Amino acid sequence: MMTSIFIAVAVLTIAAIVFGIILGFAADKFKVEGNPIIDQVEALLPQTQCGQCGYPGCRPYAEAIANGDKVNKCPPGGTATMEKLAELMGVEPEPLNQEAQEAVKKVAYIREDECIGCTKCIQACPVDAILGAGKLMHTVIAKDCTGCDLCVEPCPVDCIDMLPVETTLKNWDWKLNAIPVTLVSESLEDR
Amino acid sequence: MLTLLEQLDKGSLWQSPGGIHPPELKQLSNQQAISRLPLAKQFVVPIPQVGEQARLLVDVGQTVLKGQVLTEGNGFIYLPVHAPTSGTVTAIKPVASNHASGLPVLSCIIDADGNDTWCDLIVSEPSALTNDEIISKIKLAGIAGMGGAAFPTHIKLNTASEIDLVIINGVECEPYITSDDRLMREHSDEILKGVEIIHRLLNPQRIIIAIEDNKPEAAEAMQQAINHSKLPANSARVTVIPTKYPSGGEKQLIQIITGKEVPSGCLPSQLGIVVQNVGTAFAIQDAIYYGKPLVERVVTLTGKNIHRPGNYWLPIGTPVSTALKLVDFSPSSDQKLIIGGPMMGYAINNAYVPILKGTNCILAPSNDEISPDSDEKACIRCGECAIACPALLLPQQLFWHAKAEEYDKAASFNLQDCIECGCCSYVCPSDIPLVEYYRIAKSALRVEAEEKVLAEQAKQRFEARLQRLEDEKLAREAKAKEAAEKRQANMKSSDKDAVAAAMARIAAKKAAQSNDVNQQTDIQNNQAVSDSVNKKSAVSAAIARAKAKKAAQATPPPSSAENNTLQQDNSIGNVAEVSMSQQDRIAAAVARAKAKKAAQHNQVITSDVVVNDSASVSTLEIDSTVNDKKAKVAAAIAKAKAKKLQQVGIANDTDGNELADVSSITKTAVASSIGSEKLVTESKTDIGSLDKKARVALAIAKAKAKKSPQGHDRTAADESSSSLPINLNTQISNGTSTSSDNEIIADAEPENVEQDKKARIAAAVAKAKAKKLQQTESSNVKSALSDISTRASQTENVDTAALDKKAKVAAAVAKAKAKKLAQQAEKKD
Repeated sequence: MMTSIFIAVAVLTIAAIVFGIILGFAADKFKVEGNPIIDQVEALLPQTQCGQCGYPGCRPYAEAIANGDKVNKCPPGGTATMEKLAELMGVEPEPLNQEAQEAVKKVAYIREDECIGCTKCIQACPVDAILGAGKLMHTVIAKDCTGCDLCVEPCPVDCIDMLPVETTLKNWDWKLNAIPVTLVSESLEDR
Repeated sequence: MLTLLEQLDKGSLWQSPGGIHPPELKQLSNQQAISRLPLAKQFVVPIPQVGEQARLLVDVGQTVLKGQVLTEGNGFIYLPVHAPTSGTVTAIKPVASNHASGLPVLSCIIDADGNDTWCDLIVSEPSALTNDEIISKIKLAGIAGMGGAAFPTHIKLNTASEIDLVIINGVECEPYITSDDRLMREHSDEILKGVEIIHRLLNPQRIIIAIEDNKPEAAEAMQQAINHSKLPANSARVTVIPTKYPSGGEKQLIQIITGKEVPSGCLPSQLGIVVQNVGTAFAIQDAIYYGKPLVERVVTLTGKNIHRPGNYWLPIGTPVSTALKLVDFSPSSDQKLIIGGPMMGYAINNAYVPILKGTNCILAPSNDEISPDSDEKACIRCGECAIACPALLLPQQLFWHAKAEEYDKAASFNLQDCIECGCCSYVCPSDIPLVEYYRIAKSALRVEAEEKVLAEQAKQRFEARLQRLEDEKLAREAKAKEAAEKRQANMKSSDKDAVAAAMARIAAKKAAQSNDVNQQTDIQNNQAVSDSVNKKSAVSAAIARAKAKKAAQATPPPSSAENNTLQQDNSIGNVAEVSMSQQDRIAAAVARAKAKKAAQHNQVITSDVVVNDSASVSTLEIDSTVNDKKAKVAAAIAKAKAKKLQQVGIANDTDGNELADVSSITKTAVASSIGSEKLVTESKTDIGSLDKKARVALAIAKAKAKKSPQGHDRTAADESSSSLPINLNTQISNGTSTSSDNEIIADAEPENVEQDKKARIAAAVAKAKAKKLQQTESSNVKSALSDISTRASQTENVDTAALDKKAKVAAAVAKAKAKKLAQQAEKKD
């Protein structure tokens, strides 16, 4: 009777030691550097770098979310992004705290005749998508513009407009103009 | 087990999954030969048709010929655009496109002149061309896949992969369409010529011309053509495949012919297979043999609402509305116009859109031809669609997720492999427009992917910007630091002076504090020495040694300078007598010194430095106890001093010859005496001023060291055992007034050069001394008084009482001057 108890204790002890060593080794060997959740969150954010969340860029907001900030602070991402973030973070989806931006993507456009070349918008642009030099006309590289809106406010002559991205054959969405694909009725054959 | 080639030769066929058998309705249009319609009045040529971008080569108003190249450009899939007929470019503007969206795209509007004049065509024999030339000709002819996808043919024919099998696609599985059928029937030889060129380019082991069994005439014609073609025997054959939709799809056809399935995301060329449409083969033949670019194609105009349905050669760019008008199109109410077949085609809302390279059919069905728009009902999960799907997907699952807008999940069910054939929609008992959903989901996924790419780019740009800003900041800081260092370096000498002065000040303070004590002890010591040498000889010896050391240090500095230049403003006559007497006195002093030296030798060294014309000749004696060591040191010092005095004497002698010089010297001497007196008084009262003086002295010493043209003037190192509490160790007196006269300085400089080094050393020594000598107040007698003569006379006149006041004033002036000099010296540096 006693021997079986001793055997059981001994076996469990040995097992505990063995598993402890394995776990310790694994914890050291497979240690994850940094917080992978930040990268995951950042991958979901739209990278407009607009700062509307109150953080200077998407990465800082991703870090903030990883540290427990709310997921509803990204108007450019819209509800879809918010929901993905909520799912990733395991929190309840919340309505966006700001008016969600219209679904239409916009880019900045500088009315070049009115531009005085003050370079203020260039300094404001988080992605260096505005081209120009002091006292020379500026223009927006539309393909690189994230539509973050940050250049509109600093312009002293209000010559920057946010224009919706023109729909082309490339970015056309079937949703916009659903074509009823119709089928030839079999009755025709019968006739 | 037969090899694949043997099976191909046998005509073995494999089963492709799924598929449907819709009514074919081909007899509507395949009964008549391909005919030509009257030339349209106006053509719409989209720019570019294939490729991302192109540059227009024509302007509005320019006349173009048929086949003339309208664009140039580059890019992987760029193809040139050609004028479909001769005429005039009347506008270049966005026009509704032949696309499901109907969005306007930039187009060239060409008004036909009706002549349809070809441009110069380069006719060539393929045997005379290299493969590369053929490829480039095919490219320049603008040939794109004519089956509908309009992929540039030259890319397909220039593949890097080893091609074993070329399949010429004459399947044409969609209902209604018969353009390939008619082309094969009527132009089989031309098609075979094109196939020969393809064969030459790709050198495949087999060429299979695949035709559905509902086109026996076409198959027959093609077989005939093969028989009298130049293709190697048994390298080509016609394989008739069973009619089933969508056998004509590239991947499906490959599966039927070879049994191989093209993996998801792969190209057939990776399996060694290339599929070309018969229409493309015909176009290649046209381009190579006749030099004709692809400017027209066979289009099936069919449907019950077209009264003359059939196949027609239509120039690319012909507006659909024009073409339909020419074949007696009578639109019904709610008329639908479908580009392509009923299964995969798309409806257009605007009939004024051009016919493109991939437009093989325009369907204008009557209302009883198409199923009525029925409401979508709920999916009953019957699975019919999964059975019908030729790509072996699960349409009901795709639909499920697409409808819920869970596009990620739809993608996980391989939505991207959907070929949008429409089989699932066709078989759906709930009338769900499944393909519709898939297209929406696909475009959403595409947009998402693009946005991801853009977001990644934005992120990179953002990070690059942050990096740039950081770099700029660092660079700015480094620059500022560098500038500060530079500034500091520029100010260094003055700063150094300031530092040295501060040090000197501190030293002076300490010295002043300890002076009294020291001097007391000195006096005591001296007394003791005089009283009893034996008793305190050791102590006094040590002290004397220290003093001697200091004296030795103090002795050499020759830091004062003497300007040998003439002082014009000095009146020679007036001063002559005085200077003479002064000189006499100097001489006397020197003589005395020498005499003393000679006499006392070991004991007393009198260095007589300062010569005054006033009665106060400050003869400073250094009394030292009799000590061997000390004596030696003293002897050395005395020697040095004697040398110096001799120099002075010589200088004075020369001065004596040159009265003006002498006068100036003497005047300075006067000034210096005043200065020294004043210093004496001041140092008694004001330690602070001494500090200042010390600093000034340093500055001046330095300046002078730089400037000093000739002599080093009296520097008196003296240790007084007298009752004077202050030892005037060093009197750096300016031989001549440096007179704050730049002219003189300028004159002096050239002479100065050789003595520069010496002077600098002297300055360094002076500085070091200033720092070290505890019992020393270095006082500088500032000269450079603009009116020395007045001064001299004044000094002569004043009595001792008045002297104090005078001395103070003089000191103030001298101080100011010294400052100035120091500044000047800085500048000079």
